[in-house]
Amino acid sequence: MSPGRRKGTRRGAGGSGDIAKLAELAVEAAVSMGADFADAEAGESRSRSVSVEKSSLHATSDRSHVGISVRAVVKGATGFSGENRLDREAAVECARRAVEAARLAQSDPDFVRLPAPEAFEEVPGLSDPAVRELGVPALVEMLLAEVESARAVDSRFSVQAGATSSWGLSAFANSCGVRHVREGTYVSCHVFPTLKDGSDVGSYWDFDSARRLEDFSPAGLGRTTAETAKSFLGARDAPTGVFTVVLGPLAAHGLLTAVAAAAGAEGIQRGRSFLAGRLGERIASEHLTIVDDGLVPAGLGSGALDGDGSVRRRVTVVEKGVFREMLHSLYTAEKARRRGEPARNTGHGSRGGGVSPTNVRPALGAKTAAEIISEVGDGIYVNSGGVSPNPVTGEISASVDFGFRIERGRFAWPLRNTMLGVNVFELLKAVDAVSSDCREEPGIVMPTIRAGGVRVSGRGG
Amino acid sequence: MKLDISVLESLVERARRRSAAFADTRAVWSEGTGIQCQDGRADKVGRGSSFSACVRVLLDGAWGFASTDAPDRRRLEGCLDSAIEQARASRGRVRETGVVAEIPPARGESLASVEIDPRGVSLEEKLRRAAAYEKAARDRHGQTLVNTIVSYNDSWRREVVVNSRGTRVVTEQIRSHISAMMVARSAETRQSGREHRAALAGFELLDRTPPEELSIRAADRAVALLSARRAPAGVFPVVFHPTIAGLLTHEAVGHNAEADLVFSGMSILEGRLGSRVASEHVTIVDDATIPGANGSYAYDSEGTPSARRVLVEKGVLKKFLHSLETAARLGATPEGSARADGAHSLPIVRMSNTFIAPGESSLEELLAPIGTGVFLSGGQWGYVFCERGQFVCNAAEGWMIRNGKLAEHLRDVSVSGMTLKALEDIDGVSREFELSMPGTCGKSGQGAPIAAGGPYVRVKELVVGGQEKS
Repeated sequence: MSPGRRKGTRRGAGGSGDIAKLAELAVEAAVSMGADFADAEAGESRSRSVSVEKSSLHATSDRSHVGISVRAVVKGATGFSGENRLDREAAVECARRAVEAARLAQSDPDFVRLPAPEAFEEVPGLSDPAVRELGVPALVEMLLAEVESARAVDSRFSVQAGATSSWGLSAFANSCGVRHVREGTYVSCHVFPTLKDGSDVGSYWDFDSARRLEDFSPAGLGRTTAETAKSFLGARDAPTGVFTVVLGPLAAHGLLTAVAAAAGAEGIQRGRSFLAGRLGERIASEHLTIVDDGLVPAGLGSGALDGDGSVRRRVTVVEKGVFREMLHSLYTAEKARRRGEPARNTGHGSRGGGVSPTNVRPALGAKTAAEIISEVGDGIYVNSGGVSPNPVTGEISASVDFGFRIERGRFAWPLRNTMLGVNVFELLKAVDAVSSDCREEPGIVMPTIRAGGVRVSGRGG
Repeated sequence: MKLDISVLESLVERARRRSAAFADTRAVWSEGTGIQCQDGRADKVGRGSSFSACVRVLLDGAWGFASTDAPDRRRLEGCLDSAIEQARASRGRVRETGVVAEIPPARGESLASVEIDPRGVSLEEKLRRAAAYEKAARDRHGQTLVNTIVSYNDSWRREVVVNSRGTRVVTEQIRSHISAMMVARSAETRQSGREHRAALAGFELLDRTPPEELSIRAADRAVALLSARRAPAGVFPVVFHPTIAGLLTHEAVGHNAEADLVFSGMSILEGRLGSRVASEHVTIVDDATIPGANGSYAYDSEGTPSARRVLVEKGVLKKFLHSLETAARLGATPEGSARADGAHSLPIVRMSNTFIAPGESSLEELLAPIGTGVFLSGGQWGYVFCERGQFVCNAAEGWMIRNGKLAEHLRDVSVSGMTLKALEDIDGVSREFELSMPGTCGKSGQGAPIAAGGPYVRVKELVVGGQEKS
C-alpha cells in the first residue's frame, strides 16, 4: 500500500471521491486562512434500528447522517469546528470557524505537528456489504426470532430487545499529506428478558455484535439469556466479609479495559491516572498480560489509523504483571520525548486530544473457567457489574449487578444488592488465575479471572 | 439553514393522506461553543452547528421513523417514504399495536428567556472567564493540584414539532454549562474533585457562579480527600446530602415511574398505582416548569405542554410519567414527558427536575439518633435495574456519623439498595432543600438534561461498598 493514500471506491450519495475532496478542501481552506496545521474529516452514515417492548415489535427507524469537522492549529493553539452539512460551503465555513477558534486558544508548547504520512496496510474486514444492506425487515425477523427463543424457555418472560445495523464512510485529510478513506459497518443485537414470579424477579441482559455478518451469530441469544435470567430467580443478600471473587468475561473485560484506558499517556502525563508514575512497576500478578491491538482483522475497535491520522500499533500494556508501555498519540509521544522519556507513537490518539484503547486482549491462562470456579470453596461470582476503578484514584466501589454465591466450587444461589470494595492494585495483584477459555467479540478477548481477598458488602447473615 | 414550517405541515398532511393514523415531524436547529482550559491554558476552543429533521408515522398499529441531516423538502419526503415503508413492513409483526392519546392540539411558541444571550458574548470573553476559574483554583492550592480542567459550554436550540392532530409548537432554549475537575496529589495518593453548574440560562450563569462555588470548591475537595480514609464495608444508616439525595430519587424512583417501563413490565412500580410505596415522609415531584432549571421545558418533543407532576404523595404512588403512547396504553393524561435528544432520536419518556419535597426535620435532628452511620455528599453517577428495583449511587465523598455527629472524612464510595425497601426505610427528611444537581440522564442511548436535588434524607439502612472492616 502506498504511504498514506488509498484509492476509494465510490459509495453512497456523495461517494468517497466527493467526500475526500471536501475534506481536502477544508484543509486547504484552513491553511490558506492562516492555520499552520489542519485536518478534516467528512463523512456520511446510515443506521437502521428496531426495538421490542413487552415481547412485541415496538419501533423501527432509519437515520441518515452527514457532517464535516475541522481542526486547525495556529501557533500551537488548537481550534475545532463541526457542522452536519456536506458541501463546499460547509467545508470552507468550518475551516474559517476552526481557524478563528485556534487564534483565540492558547499556544501549547508541547504541540509539535500533526501526523505525517507513513506506510500502512488497511485492516481487512471492517466493512461488509451484507451488513450495509441489512434493512429494517431483516432486523425485525432476526430480533423477533430471539424474542421467541427467549419465550420458548418460559412463556412468562417479558422481553425487551433491540437490533441495529449501521454503515459509515468518511474521508480524513491533514495538511501534512495524510489521506485516508474509511468505510465501516456494524451490526448488533441485545435482549433483556424479565420473568416475574410473584415478587421474585429474574432478569439478564446480553448482546452480540460484529462488523461482518459472518461474525454475527445472534441465533440462540434469546434462549441463553432467558436461561440465565431464570437462574436469577430467588436472589439473596450476600454476607459482608472478605471473599475470593471470580469475575466472569463481561465483568473482567470492564476491569481490564479500565486498566488499559488508565495506561493512556494523556491521563498519565497530566497526572490524573492511577497508573501515573508506575511505568516499569509491577501493578498486577504475573498471571496478567494485557495487549491492546487495534489491527485485528474485523475487530470492533480496529482501524489502520487512529483518529489523529497516525498508524496504529499493537501494544503490550501489561506483561506478566509489569506495566510495560503506555498508549500514545503523536502529541503525547512527542511530549514524552521532549521530557527525555522513551516513547513511541502507538496510534491511540483522537482528534480531540484524548488517548484510548482499542481491542483489549488479555493473554489466556492454563485452567478453564469451570476449573477456576470449581477451586473456590467460598466466594462470589460476578457475571456483570461496574467493576471499574475510579480513573484517578484506582478505588473500586462496585455493585454486583448480576452474580452468584460460590460454595464448594459451585454456584449456590444468585445474589442481589451486593457490593465490592477494593483498590485496583490490590485486586490486580491478587489475581491468581486467568482462564484458558474465553468469550470473544470480534477483536476482543474476554477470559474469566479470579482474585482473593476482596471486601464484599451485603445484608446477608 | 432555513426550513419553512409549512413544509413540515404539508408533510404530516401527506402522511395522513397515505393512511397514517398519526404522524409527527420535528426539525431541530442547534449551535454552540465549547472551551476547555487545562493546566493554565485554553487548549480546546470549538464551535459547532447542526440542523436535522425527522418524520414519525403510525400506520395500521405499527410505527415507522426516519431522520436526516441538512433537511430540505426532498429529503423529508424521502424520510416519509421510509417511515411508511417501515410501518407497512412491520404491521404484521406487531402484537401490542401502537396508540396515541387523544389530547387537544397545542399551538404555541416558547422562546428562550435569558439575561445575557451567549451568542452575543465574544469568544475572547468566554475564554477569559473560563480561564479565571481555573487560575483561581491553582492560586489557592498551587503545586498540590497536578491537573486542573475547567470546561465551558453554551448552546442554542430550536425545536419545531408539528403533528397530524393539529399541534404546532416551537421551543427555543439557551443553555449554559460550566464545570471544574481538579486532581490533587500527595506522594502516591491522587484524589479528584468535581463541580458543575448547568441551567437554562445565558452567560449570567457565570456571574451567578463565583470561583469559590466551582473551581475552588472542587480543588478544596480534591485536596481534602487526600487525607480522607476509605469508606467502611457493610450495612449502615445513611444520610444523603441534597447533592446526592437527588440521585437517589432519580435512580430509585424516577426511572421506575417512567410509564414505558411500567407498561413493558420492567418497573418495580407496575401495578402499584394508588398503593403505598414509601414511608409517609416521602413526597416525590417531577417538575418541568421550574424557571431556569436544567431539566425544564415548555413543550416536550411530542408538542405536549409540560407540567408539575406529583409522583408520590406522602408515600402513596399517584402517577407515572407519560408519552402520548404510554398515556393511551395506561389510560392516563399526557403531561409532556416525552423528550428526544435531537431529530435523530425518538421521543421517549424522561424525567425533568426530580426531587423529594422538603420535610420537617433539621440536619442535626436527622443525624442525632445515629450511633454509627455514613453521611454521603456529591452524587457522581448512578444506575438502576428497574425490573427488580436494585439501584446504585456513587458519592464523591462522605463522612462517618458517630454518636449523632459527623466524624471522619471518607473517600468516594457507592451505596446499593432495593427500591421499595429503601423507600420504606426513609425515616427522616429535612426542611433544608436544594435543587442543586443538574446533569444529563442516559436512557436508550439518549441524553436528556435533567436536574435533581432535595432535602437531606435519612435511610435506615443501605449497603455501603467500602473497603474497611466495619
